[in-house]
Amino acid sequence: MNCAYHPRTLFLLAGLLVASLGVVRAEAQPTIKLGNLVDLTGPTSDQGKDIAQGRTDAVQYFNERGGINGKKIELVSVEYGFQPPRAVAAYKKFVEDDKVLLVLGYGTPDTEALRPYISKDKMPYVSGSYSGHLTDPRQTPYNFPGGIDYTSQIRIFLNYVKETWTDTSRKPRVAFIFADNAYGRAPIEAGRQYAKEIGVDLVDEEVIPTVLTDATSQLLTMKKKDPDFAYINTNTQWVPVVLKDSYKLGLKVKYMVNNYGIDERTPKLAVEAAEGVMGIQDVAYWGENVPGMKTLMEFHQKHHPNDTHASPYMRGWLWVIMTVEAIKRAGPSPTGESVKKALESLKDFDTWGLTPPFTYTSEDHRPTNRARLVMIKDGKIVQMREVSVERDMKWIGK
Amino acid sequence: MTDQLVFMLQLIITGIAVGGVYSLMALGFVLIYKASSVVNFGPGELVLFGAYVSWATILHMRFPLYVALPLTLVIAIALGLVIERGVLRPLIGQPIISVIMVTFGVASVIRGFLNMTWGSDTRPFPVLFSPEPFHLGPVPVSPVHLWSFVVVMALLAAFSVFFRFSLTGMAMRATADNQQVALSLGVSVKRVFALSWCIATVVSALGGIILGSVRGGVDFSLADLGLKVFPVVILGGLDSVPGAIIGGVLIGVLENLSGGYLDPIMGGGVKEVAPFVALVIILMLRPYGLFGKVEIERV
Amino acid sequence: MKCGGFRVSYRGDERIFDTAAPIVVLAMLFVVLALVPRFGGTYWLDVLNRIGIAIIGALGLNILVGYTGQISIGHAAFLAVGAYSTAILEAKAGLPFYLAIPGAALLTSLFGLVFGIPSLRLKGLYLAIATLAAHFITTYVIVHWESMTNGVLGFNVAPATLFGRPLDSDARIFYLIFALVVPAALFTKNLFRTRVGRAFIAIRDRDVAAGVMGVSLFKYKLLAFVISSFYAGVAGGLMAHHSRILFPDAFTLLVAIDYLAMIIIGGMGSILGSIFGAVFMILLPEVLKLTATSLTGVYPQAFGLIASTRDVVFGLAVIFFLMYEPQGLARIWGRVKSYWTLWPYSY
Repeated sequence: MNCAYHPRTLFLLAGLLVASLGVVRAEAQPTIKLGNLVDLTGPTSDQGKDIAQGRTDAVQYFNERGGINGKKIELVSVEYGFQPPRAVAAYKKFVEDDKVLLVLGYGTPDTEALRPYISKDKMPYVSGSYSGHLTDPRQTPYNFPGGIDYTSQIRIFLNYVKETWTDTSRKPRVAFIFADNAYGRAPIEAGRQYAKEIGVDLVDEEVIPTVLTDATSQLLTMKKKDPDFAYINTNTQWVPVVLKDSYKLGLKVKYMVNNYGIDERTPKLAVEAAEGVMGIQDVAYWGENVPGMKTLMEFHQKHHPNDTHASPYMRGWLWVIMTVEAIKRAGPSPTGESVKKALESLKDFDTWGLTPPFTYTSEDHRPTNRARLVMIKDGKIVQMREVSVERDMKWIGK
Repeated sequence: MTDQLVFMLQLIITGIAVGGVYSLMALGFVLIYKASSVVNFGPGELVLFGAYVSWATILHMRFPLYVALPLTLVIAIALGLVIERGVLRPLIGQPIISVIMVTFGVASVIRGFLNMTWGSDTRPFPVLFSPEPFHLGPVPVSPVHLWSFVVVMALLAAFSVFFRFSLTGMAMRATADNQQVALSLGVSVKRVFALSWCIATVVSALGGIILGSVRGGVDFSLADLGLKVFPVVILGGLDSVPGAIIGGVLIGVLENLSGGYLDPIMGGGVKEVAPFVALVIILMLRPYGLFGKVEIERV
Repeated sequence: MKCGGFRVSYRGDERIFDTAAPIVVLAMLFVVLALVPRFGGTYWLDVLNRIGIAIIGALGLNILVGYTGQISIGHAAFLAVGAYSTAILEAKAGLPFYLAIPGAALLTSLFGLVFGIPSLRLKGLYLAIATLAAHFITTYVIVHWESMTNGVLGFNVAPATLFGRPLDSDARIFYLIFALVVPAALFTKNLFRTRVGRAFIAIRDRDVAAGVMGVSLFKYKLLAFVISSFYAGVAGGLMAHHSRILFPDAFTLLVAIDYLAMIIIGGMGSILGSIFGAVFMILLPEVLKLTATSLTGVYPQAFGLIASTRDVVFGLAVIFFLMYEPQGLARIWGRVKSYWTLWPYSY
């Protein structure tokens, strides 16, 4: 009998493994637990890493200053690769095992899928997803998108088209290019309706896969309809592919990209194809001259000066800042309901200047209706002007 | 030219260009299979390896191009040797399912290793080719695609000559035919296997460099392209080098045509699935593909 | 003292357990399992549930790949068909779960029948590639047949109700899952005590010879696909009730590869192997997560490395087992058992 290893060694190893599993988390004083969902390995991981870092840093910052009402904040983090099934499993764990007070959510597919559970569990859910479907407290009372919602953004795009269109002989033609998932699709239906309302011709819609390698055939199909403007609703990792393919085909379309599709890295990735491309900026870029930036940069200098950061990092901070404020307002024994009410009490809340001031109400979970229009010029993102849409209650929840 | 015709031509030419890249990946696959009957189920990861290593040497460590590119290829050779010697050699003679799974395992290790070392951010790929498209009639073609096609054609010519006329090439073909007899004639089968893996990794690395240039960035989705290799090699024949090239181009064209014509009707996604539908059809009608050897047993 | 496999009658040869000892152990195991939901934390219950589902799926795949030698990378597609069929049958046809899951399993078997047909013409590698294509085509259909499956937006599954009580927590689903794992394992064991099972093994070992002996390759290969997909259908249906939201993402090619890894690492052609493999593959990321979390205090970057470490460990595990222990954990277990039984003798 040829035994390449001794069974007794196996038992020893098995014992060690079991023992190592026994490295139990020591019982600590009461903390405020926040569930933390991030994508570090999936199709949005380039942003997810920064977001995760931003959240961790912000929590550390607040803990260094005594936490919230004397209690330290504890992040219960789960990496889920942008795969909704894993998000669902993580959420179950957050609610039943860790008994978190609030969840810092992430992607649209999983946040939207979890809606019924979030409402049933009365779990305040601050999400990286800005889907319009999360903004109506009558349907999703516990969801709080952490930024200007996608529906408002597509309305900004359509308003821009209408405003800058000078040819009176015909209506302007637009196309939507969006990712084949709940995030990409979120604002499209509303976009269709709004375009019709304001008299803009939606001539084409192109679906691109979540993970995009080549958009040529979609762009060629779009070219047939000859749109003047196109709105791209996918992530920063994939937008450059669309832009480069468009450049190669020599398309004369003017592009606008949503907030999650454009950031400081886009000009580097798409190079000449990015020239003239516009985008919507929801949060300050790294190094921008806003009051809070100094604090972030000091922290970064102190703890990890060798990293580089882009706007997702700021979002990570932003969501923790507003969460901390809400929990503080909820008093010494916060519950899901009291935190929800506290979030809804945020009015013109100053997010350290990282975004326009946030206002949530019990009828409207859209934090803001203002953003900035940016354009890529000479390989850099240049801020053009502030834009806003009316807080039209007609578009709540759409 | 009418609009319809121009549209179709654009799709076809883009398909040929994209197909060139598929051909490169398929070439790596076919070479391994041809010489050692091993099926590599992780071709995407080899391409990924090439893309990341070339990125690292050019941008991260800032070697000049004429150092970085050969260095990448040398590292690719080393990888091929490690895989062949360390993993495949002990498994000679094992059932095919073991070999298939082990290549999945290797692919997983490569992917995990790359993720650990360089993380999964999208890295901008160094600009090796001018982005200005030039025009083939009414159709714009980017130089990157043209160059990849040229590289593929050059490799096709080189390999055809290699297999037909060089001693090593003949040795490889002999080994593919019948290992025992080749051994008895003095062919070092071990050397042939090692050589075939090294060539495959080098070719895949080239594919990675080209893909990186085409996309402008390297990230982990490059590996997903790897599975497209299968429709290509089934169409062209698992052990045929010209088959890999022609199959690659055909699949690229098929993809783009179905994308251009069927996507609007069926709501997207047809482009990705069309090669696999084609694969099933080919398997049912002509499993050896266009140029493969007729050797599949039937029941 | 009996030495080795000591059989004196055909009846004895067919027996599953030679002595009473394993039966006692199993009984104790069942008692422990029945008590787990009372005391276990939800997280680990969830893990156990996933293990249970994986065991059923792995048993099915093992029947096809391990016992009959037909390579299939399409297992994720079968799971998907089972899961979505269950969900759709319940939502659109109003069937209760105890009809929907078997119904879905039957549908999946039909699906398996269709995909078994290429196995009649293709062998080994070509069959593997055909199943690969089947996977992508199935995924495409699921994502784009939105009227039925809701595509990428996810399909909500209402909790199963048993005697008016909803099975909506991990603790309750646990009983359902393990109530199905036991018959699944038993059925598999019995299958290989019958001529059908022996036919499968004959096909794996030397299909031409089997054909010559009178084993109808046509019938038995298809049967293997059908039975294997039935298991996958059941596992899929359980998945639908366990996670209660179905996404096409839950059924990627990686899932199929994971199942193949389960039976390879666990042991092909072995029921115990399927169980070990399922436990190993599900626990591996959990152990890694625990290690990384406990390391985070010391080494904050550890958290981000979990996913890549999992890939590396998974790949290395597969390679290691294929090189040094092709018969998997089941074989190791067998060796350990005989070492203890026969000590101080070596055989």
